[in-house]
Amino acid sequence: MSRAPHAPLFVREMGLPARFGLYVLVCLLLLAMDARYFALSGVRAGINAVIHPTQMALAKPWEWLYGVGRFFVSHGELAAENQRLKYQHELLAAGLSDRAAIKAENTQLRALMELPAREGFTMVPSEIIETSTDPFSRKIIINRGERHGIAAGWPVVDANGLVGQVTRVYPWSSEVSLLTDRSQGAPVQNMRNGLRIIIFGQGSDNRLEVRFLDMHADLQPGDLLYTSGIDGIYPAGVPVARVIKIEPPHHTPFARALCQPLGGVGRYRHIAVMKPDRSAAAVTRQLGTASNKKSP
Amino acid sequence: MNIPPLLPQGAELTHPPTRAKVYISLLLAFSLTLLPWMEQIRWLVPDFTLMLLLYWNIRAPRLAGIGMAFSLGLLTDVARGVLFGLNALAYCAATFIVLLVQRRLEGFDTPRQTLQLSPILLGKEALVLTLGLMMGRADADWRWLAAGLTAALLWPALAWLVDRITQQEPASRQTPL
Repeated sequence: MSRAPHAPLFVREMGLPARFGLYVLVCLLLLAMDARYFALSGVRAGINAVIHPTQMALAKPWEWLYGVGRFFVSHGELAAENQRLKYQHELLAAGLSDRAAIKAENTQLRALMELPAREGFTMVPSEIIETSTDPFSRKIIINRGERHGIAAGWPVVDANGLVGQVTRVYPWSSEVSLLTDRSQGAPVQNMRNGLRIIIFGQGSDNRLEVRFLDMHADLQPGDLLYTSGIDGIYPAGVPVARVIKIEPPHHTPFARALCQPLGGVGRYRHIAVMKPDRSAAAVTRQLGTASNKKSP
Repeated sequence: MNIPPLLPQGAELTHPPTRAKVYISLLLAFSLTLLPWMEQIRWLVPDFTLMLLLYWNIRAPRLAGIGMAFSLGLLTDVARGVLFGLNALAYCAATFIVLLVQRRLEGFDTPRQTLQLSPILLGKEALVLTLGLMMGRADADWRWLAAGLTAALLWPALAWLVDRITQQEPASRQTPL
């Protein structure tokens, strides 16, 4: 190695600064294309299709280790757990029958009021396989993708409430932007008095905020916020958050409300994607892409 | 003054760095970043890909280079789900700086190398965060800067390990006495 490392080997080869400049230019071009025009999703999906199986394979040994560890659980522990689960199962079964009764009553009441029934959704259960390594945003990767019929824009919920929205779809996985992401917003309604507001993420796992709240708006700590369903993405009536604190106007004409998300944003492993039924799917997809383009 | 020998000496002559060694080690380092790290320590995990890339740019600049940095950066971008070209740009910049001072880094022993490399490793994390902010991501998690620090701390261990595995003499002993 007696040559200077970056001296050109042949005269026609570019020098180091020139090559560096060229690559920087290409990088900036790619950045602009991805950030402003969303032009590279195909390339991204292609590379991801290669990386994803590797990632799965690398995670396998850990799962096996965990499985082996689970094998050596004492009998007593299992018996206790069994007992507890039985009890829990009974509780759940009771709750389920309650819910069925309430649902039946609800449809009856709706029919009575002659309101059009809300568009149906199918729940697609999915598992969180990865949290995104992006310091800028709150995103998770789930194990359902294009092959399972997922499309961008569909709402994601868990047992307690709204979690977020599918924002990017890969062949075997998709990316969900959590409600707590700064670029995510959801139209909600105060359960107590029907006040319509828009709630935004703050970038922290257990805080949501209402940014531009009217000074005299009737919102109190403890109020429950439900989705209003007027955006065409989130269905109406999904619990979103509980108001914790109202901050009075400070140098601005608007107040600000801090809320706690009800859905287990960043807590659970299993969530459900709400798949709109055929008639609503086209509309939702259209709206979804529109809102995706708008949000960043 | 450090004058590199005209011909490769000792282990470098019998076990020279080959393309296979470079690619396999880079692939391993990249898979290391793909492992399911725990959520609590995720922001502390150093960028092994960049460390290995810089390692090969110091030891065998003819086999690595800016082009390799660019393609590895794109792979990292997809794996992390960030904007296309963010890590690629950072990798290219880090490689460029290392190649500029490659002669000096090659002659240093590991502690001095670490001192010289730590601003580059830290600067890469800072560059990624700053670029992200410029491209309109509102809110950066500055804890991720710590990954650069961990990378600098792990550099001696990594250099020693890769030296042993690929059977190369450590940098300081390559120079004649």
